[in-house]
Amino acid sequence: MLRGSGRGVTAVLRRWASGGGQGQGQGQGQGSGSGSGSGSGSSSARPQPLEPSLLRFLVCPLSKRPLRYEEATNELINEELGIAYPIIDGIPNMIPEAARMTRKNPPAEGSKQP
Amino acid sequence: ETHFGFQTVTEAERREKIYKVFESVAKKYDVMNDSMTLGIHRVWKDILVHKMNPSPGTLLLDVAGGTGDIAFRFINYVRSVRERQLQQKLKHHQNLSWQEISESYQEDKSKSLGDSQVVVCDINKEMLKVGKQKAQHLGYSEGLSWVLGNAEELPFDDDKFDVYTIAFGIRNVTRIDLALQEAYRVLKPGGRFLCLEFSHVSNPLLSRLYDLYSFQVIPVLGEVIAGDWKSYQYLVESIRRFPPQEEFKAMIEDAGFFKVDYQNLNLGIVAIHSGFKL
Repeated sequence: MLRGSGRGVTAVLRRWASGGGQGQGQGQGQGSGSGSGSGSGSSSARPQPLEPSLLRFLVCPLSKRPLRYEEATNELINEELGIAYPIIDGIPNMIPEAARMTRKNPPAEGSKQP
Repeated sequence: ETHFGFQTVTEAERREKIYKVFESVAKKYDVMNDSMTLGIHRVWKDILVHKMNPSPGTLLLDVAGGTGDIAFRFINYVRSVRERQLQQKLKHHQNLSWQEISESYQEDKSKSLGDSQVVVCDINKEMLKVGKQKAQHLGYSEGLSWVLGNAEELPFDDDKFDVYTIAFGIRNVTRIDLALQEAYRVLKPGGRFLCLEFSHVSNPLLSRLYDLYSFQVIPVLGEVIAGDWKSYQYLVESIRRFPPQEEFKAMIEDAGFFKVDYQNLNLGIVAIHSGFKL
């Protein structure tokens, strides 16, 4: 359940979330190119979508800020901290240790920010 | 440094061990509950929901709700309240046209819960899986959602829920103070905190019988039914480690809740603690 690198990354994220961003590099481990995300035994068929009413309540557990639902990868993205929470079998996994770091290219994704 | 049953472990070890306990017992969780408590756990949970007395439109967050027992009872309750509401409404409208009558029936179907909603949050994937399967099997879908999350660090926004429940779960949280603070945070002003948990028996005779039953019978049941002595040994030890009624009440007050009170069930084998965010 707890990934080795995930724990170190999570500690960094907690510091960002509480003390304000320092714009540091997104750190080790998973790059954004790996489309499989956390890939923990997810179904081979089309992934189950999220219950839409849940989006009203869900926020990032670390920063308590709103999330964006990314249909392509079936994840909930926290733009500020650059992390993505996977949705497996229709159940969002909101445990920080399971979240994936998203490596962002400023020009491409920056324009998508609401 | 903290405890896992009667052992001393680090916080990280405790979290991992508890995760493994529930991963292991998830499929047999309901069967074991019935065997260990001779079905009485159902009554305790019924009492909790009756105490809650939710009206249609209530937003419930059920934490450590795993296999869905509280969530399903909540849905049943608001559904029956809603039905009674609609019947009352119809009784007063005696001169309706056919058009109006058929419209009212359609409205019934789409709002059988009256916008009530329950979010079940649990840290354990296996328990949620069992819960979701149960829901499908029993036909619960409307107004019900599932989230994998940590009670100490809830993925929900402030001031969102009308009621927060945690039934037989807070005992397994490593930082109870954090869970209580999070409960306070996500509740709306006026919202209610309800905790159903094993507690302390002060009656000496009952206490002796209860200890005997807990330590001699329950782990054996665990081995015979679930093939897991150790998890149920942990269970009975964790009950002894959990603070008694008054101490837990003080912890709830520390988190900011008002009008904190508790109700003993079965002479303190189980207690329901309640508090309000004002």
